[in-house]
Amino acid sequence: MSSILDRASRNFLWQHPWQLALAIVGIALGVAVVISIDLAMESSLTAFEQAGKAFSGTATHRIIAGDGGLDERLYTRLRVEQGIQKIAPVASAYVQLTEQTEESFRLIGIDPLIEKSLQAVWQQQQKANKTSVFLTRLLSEPNTALMSEQSAQRLHLKINDDFTVMADSREQRLKVIGLLAPDNAVSEQVLARLLITDIATAQEVLGLFGRLSSIEVVLDKNRPEILAQIGKVLPANALLISTDSQSQSMREMTRAFSINLKAMGLLSLLVGMFLIYNTMTFLVVQRRRLIGSLRAIGVTRRQIFKLIIGEAFLLAIIGTLIGIALGIALGQGLLYLISETINAIYFRIDTTSLMVSPVQIGKGVLLGIGATLLAVLPPAFEATRFSPVTVLTRSQLESGSRRLIKVAGLISLVLIAGGMALAFFSGKSISLGLASIFLLLFGFALLTPNFTLLSMRLIERLFGRFLGILWRLPPRMISAEISRTGIAIAALMIAVAATIGMDLMIGSFRQTVAQWLQASLRADLYVSLPGEKMTADKILADHRLKEKLAELPNVQMLSSVLHTKIITDDEFTKVSVFELNAKSKKGFIFKHKVGDDLWNRFEQRQTVIVTEPYAYHHDISIGQKILLQTAQGNEPFEVIGIYADYSGDQGHLAMSRHNFQHYWSDLGYSGIGVYAKDGTDLQQLENQLSKLVTAEQSVKSDRAIYKASMEMFEQTFTITETLRWLSAAIAFTGVFSALMALQFERTRQLGILRAIGITPRQLTALIFGETGLMGLTAGLFAIPAGNVVAYVLIFVVYQRSFGWTMAFYFNPWVIYQGLALAFIAALFAGIFPALKMAKTKPAEALRTE
Amino acid sequence: MTTEAAITIQQLSKSYQESGRQHEIFSKLDMQVRRGEFIVLFGRSGSGKSTFLNLVSGIDPPDRGKVIINGINLTGLTEHERTLFRRHHIGFVFQSYNLIPTLTVAENLLLPLELIKRITVKDKDKVAGLLARLNFADRLDSYPDRLSGGEQQRVAIARALIHDPDVILADEPTGNLDLDTGKQVLELLDTLVKKAGKTMIMATHSQEVIGMADRIFSIHNRSLVSR
Repeated sequence: MSSILDRASRNFLWQHPWQLALAIVGIALGVAVVISIDLAMESSLTAFEQAGKAFSGTATHRIIAGDGGLDERLYTRLRVEQGIQKIAPVASAYVQLTEQTEESFRLIGIDPLIEKSLQAVWQQQQKANKTSVFLTRLLSEPNTALMSEQSAQRLHLKINDDFTVMADSREQRLKVIGLLAPDNAVSEQVLARLLITDIATAQEVLGLFGRLSSIEVVLDKNRPEILAQIGKVLPANALLISTDSQSQSMREMTRAFSINLKAMGLLSLLVGMFLIYNTMTFLVVQRRRLIGSLRAIGVTRRQIFKLIIGEAFLLAIIGTLIGIALGIALGQGLLYLISETINAIYFRIDTTSLMVSPVQIGKGVLLGIGATLLAVLPPAFEATRFSPVTVLTRSQLESGSRRLIKVAGLISLVLIAGGMALAFFSGKSISLGLASIFLLLFGFALLTPNFTLLSMRLIERLFGRFLGILWRLPPRMISAEISRTGIAIAALMIAVAATIGMDLMIGSFRQTVAQWLQASLRADLYVSLPGEKMTADKILADHRLKEKLAELPNVQMLSSVLHTKIITDDEFTKVSVFELNAKSKKGFIFKHKVGDDLWNRFEQRQTVIVTEPYAYHHDISIGQKILLQTAQGNEPFEVIGIYADYSGDQGHLAMSRHNFQHYWSDLGYSGIGVYAKDGTDLQQLENQLSKLVTAEQSVKSDRAIYKASMEMFEQTFTITETLRWLSAAIAFTGVFSALMALQFERTRQLGILRAIGITPRQLTALIFGETGLMGLTAGLFAIPAGNVVAYVLIFVVYQRSFGWTMAFYFNPWVIYQGLALAFIAALFAGIFPALKMAKTKPAEALRTE
Repeated sequence: MTTEAAITIQQLSKSYQESGRQHEIFSKLDMQVRRGEFIVLFGRSGSGKSTFLNLVSGIDPPDRGKVIINGINLTGLTEHERTLFRRHHIGFVFQSYNLIPTLTVAENLLLPLELIKRITVKDKDKVAGLLARLNFADRLDSYPDRLSGGEQQRVAIARALIHDPDVILADEPTGNLDLDTGKQVLELLDTLVKKAGKTMIMATHSQEVIGMADRIFSIHNRSLVSR
C-alpha cells in the first residue's frame, strides 16, 4: 500500500483524536478485563499447586487420609515390610505466628534423612552443600525451622532467632536455623508462607502424635506393581492418589466458578467489541467523501479494505498492549477477591502475587487483535461500497441501514429462540448454558434498533402534540441516525441487561439462602469446635465440653454435627454427621415429599441423606445406594432424602452419628447446637457458654451466624459485582464514544440551529434530551432482556454450575435501578459532547462540512 | 424603502489565525443599509462574504468595529443576547439550504416561530398559507431529504421569512442550483422579501441578481467597494 494513501487516511484520523482514543480504550478495557480474570484465576490455582510441590517435589503419588490422618506405623510398614524406599512422610498444617504477624504459615514436617531424594521445590533453589547442612541441623537440633529469606526479612528474624507458633491453642518456640533463597517468582511465592521443620517437631507443634498428614511416593515407572503393593496395606480411611490427579481435581472443583468468571470477562469483551465496531464505523462513514475521492482517482476496493483493516490492526496492537498492562494491574486487584472467594467456597489457598505467563499474554494479544479485526470487518466492507462518483448523503446511508435493521430484527428473533433452545436442551453443560446467554444478549442487541425506532415513534405519537417543535427533535435525531444511535443503545442495553440479570439472580439467591438459613438455624446458640481432628486430645475435650453443656440448668437439649470426609468411589466425599433432636430435624428443607418414617430410618438403618448439589453432580436419586469405604470394606448406604444446602457447591452426604460410629472411629465434633429452655436469658447463657470454651472455640447466637453467613454470601459475590461494574464502565465508554462522534458529525446541523436563534442552553438541553432518551430506551429494553438473563442464570447456569435450585424472586427495585443506571450513564456520557457543542461558535459549526 | 438606516456598519474588522499567523479578512469596513434595501455582495471565493454575513447576523463577533441593526449595537451584546436578537430580527438563507433534516417541511417553518412564542392555530395557518403559495400545500409533512435542491431552497426562504424578521441575510442562495432553478429562487426572494419591505443582504456569484439589487458591493483587498 502506498505511503501517500496511508497518509491521506491517517491525517484524517489524527484530526479525530478523541475517536481514536476511545477506540483504543474500548479494545484496552475489553482485553484488560478478560486477561485480568485469567491471570488472577490461574495465579490462585497455580499457587495452590505450587504449594503442594513445595514438599512433594518429584513425588508422583500421595497417600492421604480423612480427618483422622494416617497412622505413622503405615509408613514403617511400607518402608520396612514392603521394602518401598522412595517414600517420605509429611506432617503438615497451618500455624499462626503469634509475635511478629497475624499471618498464618503452612508448617511442613519432613524426614531430613530421605527428603533429599524428593527434590522438593524448596531444595531446588539451594546449593547442594547448603541443603545438606540444613537437613542435618533440622535432624540434630529439636524445634528448629527453615523459612525463606523474604519471610525472615518481613518478620525481622535472623538466623538463630526464636519465634513462637500457635496451632490449636498450643504454643511452641522454634528457632530459625536456615534461610531459603528462592531464585524465581514462583518459588518465592511457594516459600513465602512456608515453615519447614523435622517431622518430629511438626508432630509436636501440631499435636499429631503418631499421625501423619500424608506420605509422598515417588513411583518408579518400571515398577508399577508398587501401587498394588501399597494398596494392599492401606487402611480404610486412606487413599493413594496421583499428585497430578489431585491438582486436576482442584481445578475441576473450581471449574464452574472459573467458567462463570471468564464468561463475565467475555461479556466485557463483547461490549468492548460493540464499542470498536461503533467507532470504526463512524471513522469510515465520516471519511466517505475521502474514500469516494480515492476511489475516483483509481484506488481499488481491495486497497480501501486493506487501508481500514491496517488501521484497525494498528489500533488493535496499541489497545491490546495497553489492555495487557491494565489487565495485569487489574489482575492484582482481582487476585485478592478471587482467592477470598475460593477460600470461602472451595479450599484454602494463600493470597499470592500475580503470576504472568507468556501463554496468557499471548492469549490476550490474540483475543484483542482478533476481536478488533472481527468488529472492524463490517465497516471495512461498508467502506469498499462507497461509490467513486457520488458521495452518499447521511440520509442515503441511513435508508440503507434501515433495510439492514429489518434483516437484523429477523435474525435477532432466530438468535433469541436459538438461545432459549440452547439454554434448556444442552444437558448439563455450563459452557453451553453461558453460550445461550450470549446468544440471547446478542439477539436482544440486534433487536434494539427496531425497538428504538418503535419507541421513538410511540413517544412522538403519544407526546408529540404536547411537545414543541424543538422537543420533537431528540426522538427524531435518534431515529434519523439509528445506524449509530442503535449501536450505542445496544451496547448500553447489554451492560444494563447483564446488571439486571445478575442483580435479580443474586437477589433471588440471597433470598433463597436467607430463607434456608432461617429454616436451618433452629438452635439458640451454636458452639463451634474447630481444629485438626487427628488429635486424640481434641476428641476427648469435645466430649467433655458436650457433657458440660448438657448439664447446664438452662439447656433444654443439644444437637451436634461433625464435618469429616469418607472415601467413596476412590475419592474423598464430605460427610456431615448429625446428632439431631426434634427441633433440629425441622431445619431440613427436602426437595421432595418426605414420609413420616424418614428420621427413624435415618437413625436406625444404613442410610444417608444427600444435599441437592451432591445429588445433582453425582446423578443421585432417592432409593439409590452409595458405597462408602469402611474398615470392613465397602458398605452400601441407601439415599433416603435430598435436601437443600447452600454451604458449598460440591455437596455432601449426611448420616446419623449412630450410623457413623458404627463404621468409623470417633473424631469428636465440629459444632454443637444448644437449645435453651423457655424463658432463658440467651445473652446470659451465651456468656455462660463462653466461659466453658477455649480461645479457639466460639459461641454464637443463631442471629450472629445468620449475619456472618450472609456477610460471607455477599463476599463471594464481590468479584461478580466488580466485573459487572467493569462491563458497565465499558458500555458507558461506548455510549460516550458514540455520542461524541454523533455530535461531531452533526456539528453543522447544530450550527444551523444556533444560527436561527437556538441558545447554547437550549442546545445543551436538546443533546441531554437525546442522550436521556437513548438511556431510557436502553434501560427499558434491558428489562425483558435482563429478566430472561436472570431466568437462564438461575434455572440453567447456576444449577448446572453448582447444583443449587433457587426460586426466582422478582424485585422491582432492581428494575428501577437498571433503568436509572442506563438513564444516568447516558446523561453522563452526554455531558462532554453537550458542553463542547454549546461552546462551539455557530460560525465555526456552519463552516464544518 | 425608507431613508432610515436599518443596518449601520462602522469600522468593521475581522481576522483569523492559521498556523500561528494572523490573516486579516477585512479591515475597517463602513456601510449603511436603508430599511427595505436589497444589497448584493459580490466577491471571489474566500474573499470573506460569508464571514461578513456572519458578523452582520451576530453569529460571529468582529475583532473591532460596530454592527448596528435597528439602533441596537450587536457588538455590545453578549453571545446569549445576540442569539435572542437573531431569533427575532434575522432570517438566514444558506447556500446548502440547511433545513433541519429531522423536521418536516411544516415543522422547519414552525421552529423559528416557536422560538419566539407559543404556536397558535393562526401560526399553523400562516405556515400552511405560505407553503401553499410556494406550491407545497401537499408536502407539509415531507422531510427535506425528499425534496429537490430548488424545493429545499424555497422552503429555506420561507423559513427565513416566517417569523417576519427585519433583515434577511442570504449566503449564496443559488450556489448549489442550476441556472433555471437559481432564477426561480431569485424571483421568489425578490417577490417575498422585497415586496414585504424587508432589508436584505445577499452574498452571491450570480449575475442574474444584478437587475434586482438596489446597490451592489464587492469585497476587494479587504475593503468594501461599491459598484
